[in-house]
Amino acid sequence: MNITTIVYILGWILRIESAFLLLPALVSACYREPASMAFLGVSALCLLTGWLLGRRKPQKLAFYAKEAYAVTALGWIVMSLFGCMPFMLTGEIPHFVDAFFEMVSGFTTTGASVVANVELLSHGTNLWRCFSHWIGGMGVLVFLLAVMPMVSGSNLNLMRAESPGPSVGKLVPRMRYTARILYCMYFALTMAEIVCLLVAGMSVFDAVCTAFGTAGTGGFGVRADSIAGYSPAIQWIVTVFMVLFGVNFNVYFLLYARHFREALRSEEVRVYLGVILAATVLITMNCFDGDLTPEHNVRNAAFQVSSIITTTGYATVDFDLWPTLSKLILVLLMFIGACAGSTGGGLKVSRFVIAAKMLIRHLRGYIHPREVRAIRFEGHDVGEDTLRSMFVYLFAAMMIFCVSVLLVSLENQDLVSTVTAVAATFNNIGPGLGTAGPTSNFAGFTVLSKLVMIFDMLAGRLEVFPMLVLLYPLSWRRTVRAERKRMARHGR
Amino acid sequence: MFGPRKRKQTALRIIIVGCGKVGHTLTEQLVREGHDITVVDTDSHVLSNLNESYDVMTVSGNGASRQVLESAGLKEADMVIAVTGSDELNMLCCTIARKAGGSLSAIARVRNPDYSEELTYLRQQLGLSMIINPEMEAAREIARVIARPQALTVSAFAKGQAELVQFMIPRGNRLCGMSVMEMNNLFPFGFLACAVERDGIVTIPDGSFVLEEGDELSLLSASNDAYRIFPTIGMYAPHARTCLIIGGGRVTYYLARKLLEQKVEVRIIEQNSRRCEELTSLLPNATVIYGDGTNEELLREEGLETTDAFVPLTDVDEENILLTLYAQRVSNAKTITKINRITFNNVIDSLQLGSVVYPKYITAELIIAYVRARQNSIGSNVETLYHLFDNRVEVVEFHVEKDAPVIGIPLMELKTKDNLRIACISHNGRMIFPRGQDRIQAGDHVIIVTTHTGFGDIGDILA
Repeated sequence: MNITTIVYILGWILRIESAFLLLPALVSACYREPASMAFLGVSALCLLTGWLLGRRKPQKLAFYAKEAYAVTALGWIVMSLFGCMPFMLTGEIPHFVDAFFEMVSGFTTTGASVVANVELLSHGTNLWRCFSHWIGGMGVLVFLLAVMPMVSGSNLNLMRAESPGPSVGKLVPRMRYTARILYCMYFALTMAEIVCLLVAGMSVFDAVCTAFGTAGTGGFGVRADSIAGYSPAIQWIVTVFMVLFGVNFNVYFLLYARHFREALRSEEVRVYLGVILAATVLITMNCFDGDLTPEHNVRNAAFQVSSIITTTGYATVDFDLWPTLSKLILVLLMFIGACAGSTGGGLKVSRFVIAAKMLIRHLRGYIHPREVRAIRFEGHDVGEDTLRSMFVYLFAAMMIFCVSVLLVSLENQDLVSTVTAVAATFNNIGPGLGTAGPTSNFAGFTVLSKLVMIFDMLAGRLEVFPMLVLLYPLSWRRTVRAERKRMARHGR
Repeated sequence: MFGPRKRKQTALRIIIVGCGKVGHTLTEQLVREGHDITVVDTDSHVLSNLNESYDVMTVSGNGASRQVLESAGLKEADMVIAVTGSDELNMLCCTIARKAGGSLSAIARVRNPDYSEELTYLRQQLGLSMIINPEMEAAREIARVIARPQALTVSAFAKGQAELVQFMIPRGNRLCGMSVMEMNNLFPFGFLACAVERDGIVTIPDGSFVLEEGDELSLLSASNDAYRIFPTIGMYAPHARTCLIIGGGRVTYYLARKLLEQKVEVRIIEQNSRRCEELTSLLPNATVIYGDGTNEELLREEGLETTDAFVPLTDVDEENILLTLYAQRVSNAKTITKINRITFNNVIDSLQLGSVVYPKYITAELIIAYVRARQNSIGSNVETLYHLFDNRVEVVEFHVEKDAPVIGIPLMELKTKDNLRIACISHNGRMIFPRGQDRIQAGDHVIIVTTHTGFGDIGDILA
């Protein structure tokens, strides 16, 4: 492990965070809140630490997979540690674990909150919570790749470690432009949503925060009742944009590059939209309420389905009161998640499609034992390497989920709350069912459960492996620094 | 606002088809020069390795298929370079790219001797910008070194009118302790000391630089005068009359033909009997010996001790290195080692092999010179490019066009960058080693020596 490189990149991550922190500081100052000083102070601290860490530029900035994965995991943790400081400084979330939970939940675009009533928070804090969704949605390392002047060579590993999906590729030959294109599309879509929300009559602050939350598929709201209090038009706009941000961004690039046919042919997006449609129809029928207009029924179902499958976590109704079938559909959607290469979490639609094709191939193997058959997805053969790592991923995710549920069950809460709280954090959704449901919050969980869920949120957002590499002792044996010390001892 | 539209004008979008030795070297160098590279190969394993180490896009598939080329971005590409193992595939790939793509230039590697006579015809008929034959280029370079056995490398500039000779100053030579300024009195003809490597550090010497024993010196002079360099400084070597070549591959064929033209007696040892028969019919004047070139007994029998030049050209780099080391022990022959594949440059340097030829770098340099020329079609063009001392020094030849910013200004008034020398100006076919009063004129060929990299335009030399 090359520690010099890791420290250097961490320095850059902190410098970028320092820049990001200026936005809530500015907004806070506009509303004349004391919180602005907290944000400004933490921003300065980030800059200083970043400068200290980034002072020594490694001679060769080479990333091998292990450095990329470790720096991604560490970067997200460090970022959250610094990001949660303003919450504690302003006294709005005084306890460290709570503040850290809230920040990790923000960056990982989970949207699980420990705050009972968000309307009591300052504007700066609310904006920072939502803005952290926006940053975490596309990823801070991807941002780093887009702006960092000196990264050259093997930086695909960095993007691979941070971006979700079974196989991560580039849009254009150069990583820097790939990252820029991604952020440009992300920014443009976010702006489009802000404009739509403003037209539909939302206030500027609410519109910006809601758009940030939707774009990152996060789910922190600025109102206690999430999106329920807004007009039907706004609810529909948010629904549509949640679905849009759950689509693989490669598809938008294809549209931009005028490859319409390829874009429309995307298998993953078709399945994704199909699942949304089917779930909406089922839930609408299952919990049809004669007192409401049909449009209202459809809207409620569509909103909740989009919110859960894209792992956003906004709510317009308390779906904890829904019939069991509807609730179970939502729980299943939690695990399916959004498309690969989107800002959403979960296990990703593409993995399910590929796994289903594997199942079919396996079944055919009983009928034609000698048949040779390649798995094709999006018009390309899926390599055996990808298939293998995908199944390892599914297994690892399952194990982490089970262990987490066991640990959280120490609290002796009911089964539904325990399981869905872990599912909602691991899949980066936010609200679960029961005590973790849309109308309550995570403040009631014990410190141990919160720490477990912090790990789950990070593991879910970064797709497990960066966190595991970070914790795997072998990664840290024979670091470059140790190597250098050894060489110094031997007088070379 | 979207990256590729706004990037530096000079970055080209290049598709490289085939990712073998040359493809890999090309990718490395072109990425370093800041181009957008997409690599096409059938082996997805090779591609994923490439992706790990370079900032490129990769497409797996057959590079001659239009669909594959289009998914590699043929429509936007500025250039296609086909360097797969098969000549025919390379030509087909370039032809299809030319037909299907826009106004792109295509470069193909064609190395089969069957086509070597008709390269110009093929280039014109297929509409290619360039056909490269690495084996022929390597043979040319080897032949040049054999002609000046005291040199480590000899490179040609300005259509062969100027030569860059690199050599090591031996013990007790009259150059030891002499400053570059004093060399002017020694040489009765124009020259320029371009670069010196001492203890691994490369400098572009000024007049007061004092040379020492063991320095590796690069001298540029007119080709007509180049043969006088070594006699002047007292390094005599007989003209090579015999040459022993191990291995009968394509480089051997091209080299033997060149040497036979120069009336050098050529002996080739090849261990495949059928190839031996082919070689005798292709090269009736050469002596072809059927046997194992790594057999000491055979080497001695065929006169390794007495031959003037010894060139191991087997396919195995390690074998070539060992043969050279052995030859240096038992004979005074000039040895030239061909290294195809292995990359441990510092180890190879420390072995003191003498002249080493890297076909893959020769090919890459030719292509990069073309790419740089393509980059700046206005102003001036890069004609040739050489890397010296492991890419630490670049020697670039420009063709100066009418509107270049350096025209008509006395050189002493030109504010050039540091670590840069205007080595030589070829004016109407006459070589000038410029002094302060000389001026560059339109139509001149100018050779620049520099430790900077990436010069694409004569204007780049200005500070």
